[in-house]
Amino acid sequence: MYGWIWRHLPGNAWVKALISLALVVAVVYVLFNYVFPWAEPLLPFNDVTVDNQ
Amino acid sequence: MAVSVFGELLITAGLVLGLFVVYSLWWTNVLADRAADKQADKVRDIWAHQDDGSGRPATFDSKDGIGFLHVPAMSGDEILVEKGTTSKILNDGVAGYYTDPVKATLPTSGKKGNFSLAAHRDGHGAEFHNIHKIEKGDPIVFETKDKWYVYKVYALLPETSKYNVKVLSAIPKESGKTKAGHYITLTTCTPVYTSRYRYIVWGELERVEKVDKERTPPEELRG
Repeated sequence: MYGWIWRHLPGNAWVKALISLALVVAVVYVLFNYVFPWAEPLLPFNDVTVDNQ
Repeated sequence: MAVSVFGELLITAGLVLGLFVVYSLWWTNVLADRAADKQADKVRDIWAHQDDGSGRPATFDSKDGIGFLHVPAMSGDEILVEKGTTSKILNDGVAGYYTDPVKATLPTSGKKGNFSLAAHRDGHGAEFHNIHKIEKGDPIVFETKDKWYVYKVYALLPETSKYNVKVLSAIPKESGKTKAGHYITLTTCTPVYTSRYRYIVWGELERVEKVDKERTPPEELRG
């Protein structure tokens, strides 16, 4: 999978490394801003109140 | 080929889970501290300008926050208190007073009852992270614009069911009280990093001090 991505990136090794880095940053950004905030309330790690539900 | 793709997917899943831990325990704190600081500044600013004839309204919206909680045994920082205990409110790194399932009695009302609060143990500011460091006899001070409400911790409940709403009662029987009084209840989750149980701390009002011009804190918060 990662090998396939690497082979299909354009340019020489340096350019590929740079694009890979940008891709990783983009993925982390999407995870932190959209995926994790969405997933967090669905997981039972952060309920602090007492309630009767 | 298929095996290596599968392996890479597993590694990716591991990395994503690791990132989720980083997000929960670090990034949410960064965001929450930022939000809490902003809101606290706003409340302080409103307090400072209410009386100086700048034309601002004398009443302010309780959704901005009603005051600050100081618990020296738990944290050196002041904790802004806002209305409500939904995650949207608590995720801003503040403590919220209960409106549901049992409505909190605000100390400012002067009525007898229970001032029940909740805040996060981990992530989102983790305002009550060190709740286990509170011992009987420790002070809990609630600061409003004009008054310091000084409470003293008299009972702890290190582990209870998350359905135990009785801890929020006006007279919290489990704390050993049978008469109406001015109580404060702190609730958060326990053990650390999970939400399996709830940790409860009860205090009772000792005295109320007027805030002076310099906002000199009561002796419990000095030194």
